[in-house]
Amino acid sequence: MDLFLQRVFDAITNGSTYALIAVAMVLIFKATTLINFAQGEQAILGAFAVLQLWYWGIPMWGAVIIGMLFSAVLAAGLERVFIRKFDPADHLPLVIITLGLFLVINAIAAIVWRFDPQSFPQLFPSGNAFTYNNVRLTWYSIFAFGSCVLVLVVFQTLLTKTKIGLAFRAVSSNLESSRLSGIKIGPTLQFGWALAAAAGTLGASIYAANPVLQIEPSMMLRALIFSVSAAALGGLDSLWGALIGGLTIGFVQSVVVQYIPFIPNEMSLSAAVVVLLIVLTLRPSGVLGTKAVERV
Amino acid sequence: MTTPLLRVERLEARYGPVRVLHGIALNVYEKEIVVVLGANGAGKTTVLRSISGMVETSGLIEIGGESIKKLNPSEIVRRGVAHVPQGRGTFPELTVEENLKVGAFIRNDKDINNDIETCYESYPVLYERKTQAAGSLSGGEQQMLAVSRALMSRPKLLLMDEPSLGLAPQIVEDLFARFVTMNQNQGTTMLIVEQNAQLALDIAGRAYVLESGEITLEGQAEELAKDDAIRRAYLGA
Amino acid sequence: MLQKLYSSRFTPERNYQIAKWTFFVIALLLIAFAYVDVGTISIGSNNYNLSLIRLNKAIAYTIAILGLQVVIGYTGQIALGQSFFFGTGAYISAWLIADHSWPFLLTLLIVIPSCFLIGMILGLPALRIRGLYLALLTFGLAAVFPSIVKLDKLYGYTGGAGGKLTSNYKFIAPSWLPFDEVAQALQKIPLLGDFFGDGPLSTREESRLWKFILFSLLAGLCFWLVHNLIRSRPGRAMRAIRDNETSAAVSGVNLALTKTLSFGVASALGGIGGAIYVAEIGIASPDDFSSLVAIYLIVGLVVGGVGTLPGAVIGGLIYALVPDWASSTQSIAFVPERWLQGPTGSLILGVLLIVLTLFLPGGIVMGWRKFKTKLLGKELSTAR
Repeated sequence: MDLFLQRVFDAITNGSTYALIAVAMVLIFKATTLINFAQGEQAILGAFAVLQLWYWGIPMWGAVIIGMLFSAVLAAGLERVFIRKFDPADHLPLVIITLGLFLVINAIAAIVWRFDPQSFPQLFPSGNAFTYNNVRLTWYSIFAFGSCVLVLVVFQTLLTKTKIGLAFRAVSSNLESSRLSGIKIGPTLQFGWALAAAAGTLGASIYAANPVLQIEPSMMLRALIFSVSAAALGGLDSLWGALIGGLTIGFVQSVVVQYIPFIPNEMSLSAAVVVLLIVLTLRPSGVLGTKAVERV
Repeated sequence: MTTPLLRVERLEARYGPVRVLHGIALNVYEKEIVVVLGANGAGKTTVLRSISGMVETSGLIEIGGESIKKLNPSEIVRRGVAHVPQGRGTFPELTVEENLKVGAFIRNDKDINNDIETCYESYPVLYERKTQAAGSLSGGEQQMLAVSRALMSRPKLLLMDEPSLGLAPQIVEDLFARFVTMNQNQGTTMLIVEQNAQLALDIAGRAYVLESGEITLEGQAEELAKDDAIRRAYLGA
Repeated sequence: MLQKLYSSRFTPERNYQIAKWTFFVIALLLIAFAYVDVGTISIGSNNYNLSLIRLNKAIAYTIAILGLQVVIGYTGQIALGQSFFFGTGAYISAWLIADHSWPFLLTLLIVIPSCFLIGMILGLPALRIRGLYLALLTFGLAAVFPSIVKLDKLYGYTGGAGGKLTSNYKFIAPSWLPFDEVAQALQKIPLLGDFFGDGPLSTREESRLWKFILFSLLAGLCFWLVHNLIRSRPGRAMRAIRDNETSAAVSGVNLALTKTLSFGVASALGGIGGAIYVAEIGIASPDDFSSLVAIYLIVGLVVGGVGTLPGAVIGGLIYALVPDWASSTQSIAFVPERWLQGPTGSLILGVLLIVLTLFLPGGIVMGWRKFKTKLLGKELSTAR
């Protein structure tokens, strides 16, 4: 029982960070039905920017906020320069462009900050919030989960209560009618990209701030696979689905780690891919997603 | 009736190598209901899409004497043209109220909520369902919502693409009756594209007949309704 | 007027083709003899390697990219996981060579059918999963490959994280091949003779040369088969699916069969490429088949030209040479050293990928064809 509880806590910790990246993918997918393969790299670049700002003496949370703004502006620029000119229905060029961004951003991060892992400053109070026998719930877990929920609440509010949020949802619901209602499609999608990148940077910062991890340029590659599975599980178009998907993937990962005596971390990645395979094959609209309507 | 609200001259439009419209001319004057009749593939939808700036065109399109040809769709909406596209021009995942708010996207004034109230007064069904997703409404209700959504931008000209498509006859009749009321009470100018000639000619002041991308007939609606060719082609008589 | 005369039924075109290919083969052989030893080109203070090792790797990548041409270029399915099959072929071949002392060519008899089958089986979900979802899933597949071969349970077959050595197998050139004679004859050519080294070839050089010739022949065979496949009935079905899946289905194309066939062929080609890769470098190790490799192969596909067979050759060369040369570049004026020491190759490949997609969607091959059309006023062949 103790072990199980501990596992649930681990699942919540990992799941929250996956959920934040998943939310970023969901935001972009919702509006454009595009999966941004560079999302994880954009996030790690943002986290490195946070680290750099912190090195320069900016207080940690100030650095995180500036880093989020930086990645939001960068993402808006990327959308304008590389994405907007393509027909959203033609997937191949868009996949290729985001793969290209993946390589370029990854290389730049590695050139500027080197491949060596560096320790990332603590974002949250350290230590345990709660101990019972062998079960430990760290403050980090609580705050990681809390931040994730907070981000979702903020996004939900942005999307339902603001004009640009309404426009964003209108564009993802009916592109033609949005255009005919006077919504400028490009800037609206750009807003989605910026929001997604900000969420990603927060996610990567929280992920890197995990006391047991260090930041290095390729750390997001694994997280990307977990997050993609989380997003797919949640239906790729639902914000809260991303959270539940993230927690589920985190849970699968923890359970697999505990029960199967293979090289633990290596198998958990495969488990995530298997989840992805099952979800996409059996229920492409995800467990929580809205059933897709084939528009002709 | 000097300057028409909408003036279209020598309008040509193409999709890739296929030319769909071959030099169309039509006028819509203020407070008029004008109907464009035509069979499937005649280019009716393209006429409306050209006016809204959704397709590449050549020729002349003016609103109130000013050319809108070089503008993109979002600017054309701001010039007072609202367009209800074919099928359902609603946002199925958004609630009814949100649909109306999107319709008022180009506005920043304080009257938006009043207009929403007015809309609810004329369509109590929408009020009852204001927090429901638009996708859950029936076909007729969705069409009403689409029209209301378009009206929320306070347009000078309302373009409607086959509003009767896929709706039961009684619902179409009700819808068209509302168009007449709207036209008489608020003076809304409408350009309606239709296959359902009978009803459309009933409510319209003037009408054009579009065949294979060319205007073949035009005149007062009542006269066209008596025209033999029209009767054979569109009224099934 | 001229191009009418040169239609394919007439002999001049045929002769031109024969001459072109003869020239190509001779050029290939000359390059092989010239660079059999470590050949380098020096620009400034940087030395760029052009040995046969690089070219043999390029052949391996070329064949894997050829597989991507079949599945992405001709069938329009966004399958990103070619590194998975590249790795599978590599490991099967390595296992047979290392543990069962099979000769290289014989391992292909196992590699090809097993990769074909695995590709078809993994292609089954693709019948339901389309577009971006497929891209996601196949990318996931590529990402897990290294962790699968590192599994403890498979240690006996794969050698775990350390990899599987295949250096017990030596490529020995058949004695009837007149390598030495040719080399010495080339060395006697006035002025150019120096390029071809000095004296008879060492055993290692002969073995390298033999590998190059063998791999080139294999590649040639693959190209010929794919060329014929594309023009056959299933090939037409593939292109129909690429252009419009719905109308292909309506005109009687068997979607399930054609797609799985395409996945199978692509995977088999990936497997052959992987087997050649291992035969060249002598070890199969997990990190040589990471998802980064999957992306690099996509770079090769796009830069060469999606949906063009010669594009695969250009793509293979770019993949084999660009990262290698980038890391050989130690100094360029005005470029800070830091930017030359990191993963510069990856950066260049990424930039190439983006720039070509934005400005030259058909890749280098289509770009060259357009250029030739402009230059000669020839009509562009529309049959892709």
